[in-house]
Amino acid sequence: MHINMLHEFKSNKIGVIGLSILLFLFISAVFAPVIAPHDPWDYSFNCFEPPSKDHLLGTNDIGYDIFSELLWSLRTSVVFGISVAAIACTIGLLVGVSAALVGGTYDVIVMRAADALLAIPSILVIILIAAYFKPSLPVLIITLSLITWQTIARGVRAQTLSLKTKLHIKAAKNMGASTSYIMRKHIIPELFPLFMMGFVTKTRIAVFMEAGLSFLGIFDPSTKSLGVMISYATHYLYLDVWLNWLLPPVFSLSILIISLAFISFAVEEIFDPRLRRNNVTQI
Amino acid sequence: MKWNRKAKMVTVYLFTIIFLVFLNFLLPRLLPGDAILSMYSGQEIIITEQMYNELVILHGLDKPLYEQFLIYLIQLAHGDLGYSYVFHASTTDMILAALPWTMLLVVTSFVLSAIAGIILGVESSWRRGGKFDRSLLVFMLFIDGIPALAIGIIFLSVFSLKFGWFPTAGAMTAYSNAEGIAHIKDVLIHLVLPLSTLTLSQVPGDYLLVRNSMLLTIREPFILTARAKGIKERRIKYFHAARNAFLPFFTRIGIRLTYVLTGVLFIETIFAYPGLGFLTYEAISNRDLPLIQGILVVSVLLVLMVNIIIDLFYKKIDPRIEYAH
Repeated sequence: MHINMLHEFKSNKIGVIGLSILLFLFISAVFAPVIAPHDPWDYSFNCFEPPSKDHLLGTNDIGYDIFSELLWSLRTSVVFGISVAAIACTIGLLVGVSAALVGGTYDVIVMRAADALLAIPSILVIILIAAYFKPSLPVLIITLSLITWQTIARGVRAQTLSLKTKLHIKAAKNMGASTSYIMRKHIIPELFPLFMMGFVTKTRIAVFMEAGLSFLGIFDPSTKSLGVMISYATHYLYLDVWLNWLLPPVFSLSILIISLAFISFAVEEIFDPRLRRNNVTQI
Repeated sequence: MKWNRKAKMVTVYLFTIIFLVFLNFLLPRLLPGDAILSMYSGQEIIITEQMYNELVILHGLDKPLYEQFLIYLIQLAHGDLGYSYVFHASTTDMILAALPWTMLLVVTSFVLSAIAGIILGVESSWRRGGKFDRSLLVFMLFIDGIPALAIGIIFLSVFSLKFGWFPTAGAMTAYSNAEGIAHIKDVLIHLVLPLSTLTLSQVPGDYLLVRNSMLLTIREPFILTARAKGIKERRIKYFHAARNAFLPFFTRIGIRLTYVLTGVLFIETIFAYPGLGFLTYEAISNRDLPLIQGILVVSVLLVLMVNIIIDLFYKKIDPRIEYAH
């Protein structure tokens, strides 16, 4: 059964709300260089200025414009989230499909390694790697991708295994369909929802990790980050600047992650029809 | 077939340990440059020539790689996780001192959020699609979206700084000689905010898990049978349905633990709570690599231990597992 994702998604309220918020934040992040009123690295303004027309959220302790900083930080979050999701999902897809198709010892070794990764708190691994190398954005992205692909691989493997034995694929093969036709018409559409769900989940984890790590002091000094903003703002809590300095990054981070949570819940509901309301026989 | 399951578990543990050894032992030695300098540079200590030589001997860096590995394993087997030159203390001692505080937080929050998650999840799924279910679901997804980091900061600024109801840092009042009940009260009041943050960050996950598995359980024929027998609604909900819905909940404890340890890292840092998480933060700030490595070892051992215990108990809780394999 192929599910018409777009149609189902449109009628899922939670999903639509999540996607709208996400699009809004995404556009702000993409156009940050255009929207931001000031250079986020320009520290020539007065310190601790309250919000005004020129500085929508005021300025911070060393004279950065907080609103511009916020937009650029959001950009880092989005870039980080999407990069990690893309790399981790690609690795997961390759490993999962190959494990299912090749089987044998390769399958056993790869999947046991994937299980092993589950027992290791990934944040500690990144902290360690970042301490060995310099914590640059590419290093952080690649490390996080390399230790979070396992959930995708597991799902893809299970799905591919069950697809391999499906009658309609055998039938298509017998009718003389080429491998690429089967991939295009049957395998990819069946794996797509799983892939999408994985992508959203990974983006969410990555956005959270980026903010968390930079809050703890592990970040690329050449980029702006929500976590760094939060961490610095907490040092000045006693100055009553929390409304214009601390809350905006905390709030942005939260609604970004909430929108992703909404989307992933909606996709899960669509993907797993057993959870859908109209499909459950009432007792 | 039973053997297969055991073999599978053992291979997973083996891979975990290989990965750990790679991170802690092999990687610093394989990196270009001096292993000692890459491990200890950046700290606020000056490495004298004498200290450098001591470190070379401590890690056996003058010996071939396999002998170094042997030394590493022997030290590990003795519970020796290295020495922190920043804090001038044994890494093992520092971790052991921090561990009870983290355990207190983690175990209590696990229990509290499980209770809340099960009750809310069962009630919500029972009224599936209704107003209560839908609004609770959206609310939970909303809470689930707020990172523990944000919850902690909001709690800290509102309840500690603005209202002053709770202390801002620590696990007990420093230098107080309170004993008995006063001491327990002191510890509890310091526990409130970190514990509520950690619990609140876990409730939505528990709730969603219970709700999802309940939705599938409710449709099973045995629920219909129970109804037909005229058993009271509350009894069906909690003794028939919830008991089965509890299974996926139990199996996920091990995986969940790694997520909770991540949450603990931020929450303890925000509230300066003296557990493993805050220790990690201090290790990062001082670039104390041996301490980070030690914390990684202890965390992974903790997760593995919990996994083994769950694997042993799972057969008792779900006898079907014997036949399924």
